[in-house]
Amino acid sequence: MREADRTTRRAWLATALMGAGLAVSYGTLAAQALMFLLPERLKPRTRLLFAGQIGRYQMGSVQSFYDLQGNQILVKRGAKGFEAFSSTCPHLGCHVHWEAENQRFFCPCHRGVFNADGVATSGPPADAGQSLARVPLQVNEASGVVYIEVKDVKGGRT
Amino acid sequence: MTPVERAGQEAGLRGRLRALFPFDWELLRHAGAEPVPYHLKKWWFCLGGTVLYLFIVQVVTGIALTFYYVPSPAQAYESVAAITREVRFGWYIRSLHKWSANFMIVAVFLHMLRVYFTGAYRHPRQLNWCIGFLLLGTTLTFGFTGYSLVYEQLSFWGATVACNLAAAVPLAGPYIGYFLRGGPEVGENTLTRFFILHIGVLPTVTFILLGLHVLLIRLHGVTELQFEGEEAPEGERHFRFWPEHATTELMIGVLLMYLLTVVALVFPAGLGEQADPTRTPEHIKPEWYFYFNFRLLKLTSLQLSVVLTGAIGAIAFLWPFIEEWLSRRFRMPDEAPVIVGVLGFLGFLVLTVWECFAA
Repeated sequence: MREADRTTRRAWLATALMGAGLAVSYGTLAAQALMFLLPERLKPRTRLLFAGQIGRYQMGSVQSFYDLQGNQILVKRGAKGFEAFSSTCPHLGCHVHWEAENQRFFCPCHRGVFNADGVATSGPPADAGQSLARVPLQVNEASGVVYIEVKDVKGGRT
Repeated sequence: MTPVERAGQEAGLRGRLRALFPFDWELLRHAGAEPVPYHLKKWWFCLGGTVLYLFIVQVVTGIALTFYYVPSPAQAYESVAAITREVRFGWYIRSLHKWSANFMIVAVFLHMLRVYFTGAYRHPRQLNWCIGFLLLGTTLTFGFTGYSLVYEQLSFWGATVACNLAAAVPLAGPYIGYFLRGGPEVGENTLTRFFILHIGVLPTVTFILLGLHVLLIRLHGVTELQFEGEEAPEGERHFRFWPEHATTELMIGVLLMYLLTVVALVFPAGLGEQADPTRTPEHIKPEWYFYFNFRLLKLTSLQLSVVLTGAIGAIAFLWPFIEEWLSRRFRMPDEAPVIVGVLGFLGFLVLTVWECFAA
């Protein structure tokens, strides 16, 4: 056996430290890579979009807006205050509209009906137990303005 | 009795495992202990290993990125934006991939310079220079196709220009252009083609070429060099590949990961404007490793620059054989190849820097 092959305490410590260092650094990378592969995402940066003044909304009426990706958002003033919904039907992606006389959302494609809270009451979405997606909304009483919170086009880390 | 037969007769768990996988581990140990010359302790003799290390980083981060990337013109940009902004550690994995690619190209160039100026490409290793040169080709094609996948304005128009350059190659050009674009113009098919080239065809070709490259190094052995005033004492002229040299490579690898992380933090991979096939931006520029070609294109005509690039590439590819032929025929002085190398590299450098600082 060569001189260099004999394990001294110093050599053993050096190997152990190097091994631990490698394990920790590549382990960190592996953990990050694993988190990258898990589909949970960071909350995308959002921005508030002006959705009209409170006074412009009649009770039981809906106004339509578009977010920055061009998706339609319906803002409703009802007994429970202001609520916002995506107009995309959870069944097959058609656009629902508000029927003021029936106080319900209606999807013309397959006759899906959603009540004023956005919960499906008849048609295919009701069978599947689906609801309209809610969009976060803020009412600023001081300025009397309604805002919807939508995904920002640019933002986050670039 | 062969090692396999011996393995079958061992008792206990060890013997049964050996029977299941009758491999002669002694052979691997023997191959791993291959002696390498002492000058491989210096990092600039480990540049080939550096390229390999960075290539592995590219494979790992590249596979990870493919989990989220969508190779369609409508969604490519959005998916890259989502990787960069929304996916956890997405910015890090993408930045690692981008910077590791740049480091890899630098390392390839440095490796080639080292091999050239130490004359390690000469007899009997000419063929390995040629294989290495093909690897330079796949590396640059990797860079070009990968950059185009981001689908931002600059990368889209870069791809358009490059496809037209390829189409300007005499004779085969129009067919190459048609094949690359998947049609008469850059369109729906192009991105898919670049994607398949980038993640399927090129990695396969690269793995095969890398295998041949490493195999030839092992068959020939690493070039033995002697430096004046640095003669190693007898008995220390060589050390083992495993574990001594592998440790050196691993230490370089750790340093590389550290550097990559620093640049990924300080200069994370950004995202320009989304590709707009109807509007060419004011100033378009390829990635830095194509600056020399871009400058050449500006200095000459399209046809001439393509032919010139092809000719220079062919000479560089076959240089070990050309040099042999020249020295037999004309009794070249020993310094001539060095001068050719310096001029060639300076030419590349001047064109690159010129383009870099051109308004």
